[in-house]
Amino acid sequence: MQKSIRFIALAALIALGIWGWRTFFPSPERVIKSRLLNLAETVSFSANDGNIAKIYKADKVGDFFSMDVEVTFDVRGYTMSRTFNGKTEIKQAVLGAQQNVQGLKVEFLDINVTVDPDGENAVANLTAQATVSGQRDFQIQELNFTLKKIEGKWVITKIETVKTLSMLPSESKVEMKLASR
Amino acid sequence: MATDSNGSSKLLYWLRVFSIGRNPKFTLIRIAVLVATVYLISKFVLLPIRVQGPSMMPTYAENGVNFVNRLSYRKSEPKRGDVVAIRYSGEHRFLMKRIIGLPGETIEFRYGQVFIDGSPLSEPYLTTNYPCRWTIPPRQIKPGNYYVVGDNRTMPEDLHVKGEATRERIVGKILLCKSLFVSSPSQR
Repeated sequence: MQKSIRFIALAALIALGIWGWRTFFPSPERVIKSRLLNLAETVSFSANDGNIAKIYKADKVGDFFSMDVEVTFDVRGYTMSRTFNGKTEIKQAVLGAQQNVQGLKVEFLDINVTVDPDGENAVANLTAQATVSGQRDFQIQELNFTLKKIEGKWVITKIETVKTLSMLPSESKVEMKLASR
Repeated sequence: MATDSNGSSKLLYWLRVFSIGRNPKFTLIRIAVLVATVYLISKFVLLPIRVQGPSMMPTYAENGVNFVNRLSYRKSEPKRGDVVAIRYSGEHRFLMKRIIGLPGETIEFRYGQVFIDGSPLSEPYLTTNYPCRWTIPPRQIKPGNYYVVGDNRTMPEDLHVKGEATRERIVGKILLCKSLFVSSPSQR
């Protein structure tokens, strides 16, 4: 009995040690994952949020990006791709979204992070799910985030859409034709 | 008085038998085995999914439940006509599509009719209630890729998600021909 109690106590101590180590000294992958989840939370807003809270959130979004960030959205169904350059354009886009829809819930699922051997650059591949308040369906898009460690903080330098199903060249042409109309 | 206490102890006994069984140790083992079996089956064999969106209508109605058979392509390759689950960056969300083009084939849509290597493709799963008017010029599918599309081709072509899926993105075949527990959106 004594032996088993000692064994359980030792196992609990080891588990506590691992948990403590992971919490206080997280790996770059964990830091990036947590930062991206935080970004999804910051971009989301509800109809109940006040104007000040919304402006604060839009301002806070800038903290996640580098000054020269480039965000390109090329989503099927939307006839043209959209590119945002720099923090200011992103903040304006967030403010615009806040004015155009009542609420938005953004979730980042299945985040796969690959950190370069130098530990200064990383790429995160994830599935973004966006639900607009009052709408039954949600939008899903696979995205690639490129991140860089600047002054000890991981910031996003680039976001690109991933074509989960690669289109045939003819289909891209159709979309380009529609975009040019 | 004695009968009352006898009765209540009997009731307590049956309550105990009902909740934790005659032998609690075995009940605990049974629960652990059941939980482990369900977890292992759902993780490695049959993945439960809920169908969202209209692209596979009318074959698979929205909000129905179905399963992805992960073992279906362990010994064989995907076939034309199979309805498959295609993963995004992970396995929390999937695309549900039908394979109509195999690696290396040339695919074309002519006013809704699919042509494979110049021959018309018979698609018995499509109903006349869902007519298609798409026209896409012929293109060759890359080696190792499968051309997938939904059954609802009344949707505008540019809104319908379709295209080539790499083999490694195909998680498995959809198990059931019709979804289970189809509920209206308000019942969600």
